[in-house]
Amino acid sequence: MIPDSSPTAVSRGAAEGTSLGRFLRDFVESRVAVAAFVVFSTLVVLALVAPVISPQNPYDLAEISIIDGRLPPGSEGGGMTYWLGTDDQGRDMLSAILHGLRISLFVGATSGLIALVIGMALGLVSAYLGGRVDALFMRLVDFQLSVPSILVALILIALLGRGVDKVIIALIIAQWAFYARTVRGTALVEIGKEYMEAAACLALPKRRQIFRHLLPNCLAPMIVIGMIQVASAISLEATLSFLGVGLPITEPSLGLLIANGFEYMLSGRYWISVFPGLALLVLILSLNLVGDHVRDLLNPRLTR
Amino acid sequence: MLAYLLRRLAQIVVLLFAMSLVVFFGVYAIGDPVEMLVDPNLGQEARDEAVRVLGLDRPLLEQYLTYLDGLRRGDFGRSFIYGESALRIILERAPATFELAFAAMLFAVVLGIPLGIVAGCFPDRLLGRTVLGGSILGFSLPSFWVGLMLIMCFAVYLGWLPSGGRGLTRDVLGVPLSMATLDGIQHLILPAINLGIYILSFVIRVTAAGVRETLLQDYVRYARAKGLSPRRVLFVHVLRNVLIPVVTILGLEFATVLAFSVVTESVFAWPGMGKLLIDAIGLLDRPVVVAYLLIVVAIFAVVNLIVDILYAAIDPRVRLTERTS
Repeated sequence: MIPDSSPTAVSRGAAEGTSLGRFLRDFVESRVAVAAFVVFSTLVVLALVAPVISPQNPYDLAEISIIDGRLPPGSEGGGMTYWLGTDDQGRDMLSAILHGLRISLFVGATSGLIALVIGMALGLVSAYLGGRVDALFMRLVDFQLSVPSILVALILIALLGRGVDKVIIALIIAQWAFYARTVRGTALVEIGKEYMEAAACLALPKRRQIFRHLLPNCLAPMIVIGMIQVASAISLEATLSFLGVGLPITEPSLGLLIANGFEYMLSGRYWISVFPGLALLVLILSLNLVGDHVRDLLNPRLTR
Repeated sequence: MLAYLLRRLAQIVVLLFAMSLVVFFGVYAIGDPVEMLVDPNLGQEARDEAVRVLGLDRPLLEQYLTYLDGLRRGDFGRSFIYGESALRIILERAPATFELAFAAMLFAVVLGIPLGIVAGCFPDRLLGRTVLGGSILGFSLPSFWVGLMLIMCFAVYLGWLPSGGRGLTRDVLGVPLSMATLDGIQHLILPAINLGIYILSFVIRVTAAGVRETLLQDYVRYARAKGLSPRRVLFVHVLRNVLIPVVTILGLEFATVLAFSVVTESVFAWPGMGKLLIDAIGLLDRPVVVAYLLIVVAIFAVVNLIVDILYAAIDPRVRLTERTS
């Protein structure tokens, strides 16, 4: 028998095909979820093409002039219309927001994905091996989840210092425990199933059992946690940057843009803070709505 | 029970020791505080003098042992910036933070339980759906953003409430409180709402879920069949059982409220411990950062312990035994 065409692989593929179709059908039934998905995808695309479509390069000093500083939305100046106004340096807010979106999404998605990989690997190994390893990891997870992630992130920033890489590391460490706990729960159920028994009977190497047989069957809940965690990572990064302990001034994420406009808001120049704030809000909400809906669909207790 | 308590307390001590080790060595790896503290024009002699006074010229291990020895005597080191005992600086700020946290929890309970009952009784009506939908917003909106919006609406445009600071305080039993003066209360309202929104959403959801589940129980049906008024069924039979998890949530989330006070205090320039931490991180004031983290983790551990014990006291089904693993 060729190991690669083991029966589990075939039956799994077939089952996934039908359930994926059903899943997509159920998903498009909810108009809110579809709308949120469209909004989120649009934001991702806008962030990806930001350097091409933004009216000016907000960080090229030759393109901005301080004379245009703090213009209200819709003002003309510098050969263009500032639809969302300008900040104190005369930067077009629309361009700054598009670039900020890019940075926020990059930090959120990178940290979320790395945390997912680390958390999932540790959770799977923990569930599969059980015993002392499991107890050790889960104690660590228990402890970490009992401390709010904003505090974990602040502690790490205090330890690591500032910088993009350091913020990403802090966000990864603040998040991995969520993934580890979720995947462990799923994996414990899956390990009891017959295909895992079959894999063990075939005396497949442990690594193969865990990563080729167990892992694909634990992926669905991870996608949901992943979406919601990326949203919270983006929110966390914005919070850190707003507090002035996150990204450096050279990487102006949405949080930094909001912080930058805070002092002007008190004198009534709302646009410098409010528009990046709205962009951040729409980003986080759309991701949460999609994630929430997918979770409801995947929850067998709520199956209609 | 006593053995459980002792073991938990021992765990807390070990945890704090480990934290002190990690935080101390971690914090000392970043930046050079002398750069921040000494005027660069002063030359090498002044720098050397500063290094010697701050004790930064001794080996790291010796610095840590000195620090541990200080901890034993309740001395958390001296702040580089203020030149005072770090513990005293933090404790001076503590009343402001606890007052804010208390006001936020009060806001969440007073508003959250009635809203949760409404949402739990009518989950399919527009009102219930709106309340539950709104509570999702409370979870997912970044707290600092909500604070900004509150300032913009109520302080900048409407001008009803002040945008920051603590206002007038009056000493109550030797502790300065904003709640004791009208000006202080006005300053307290917006930060308390900002800090309380997260926990408000939590209380709403837990109450609503509890009410929904409890309404289906046999004893509720029986109480109705007995002919009790709907109000009595709801407020006596249902609510009493719903409140147990709500109390637990409030206890556990007190820690989260303390952590998020860092954000709210920075937005509203509230002179509490959280703002102190952010300032200290920015100024590389190591002793204050280390002391703050140790104190907050200690508070967390103790709060969790108290909640576990209270939970066992409220709910007789819970037994306090260590999980054997």
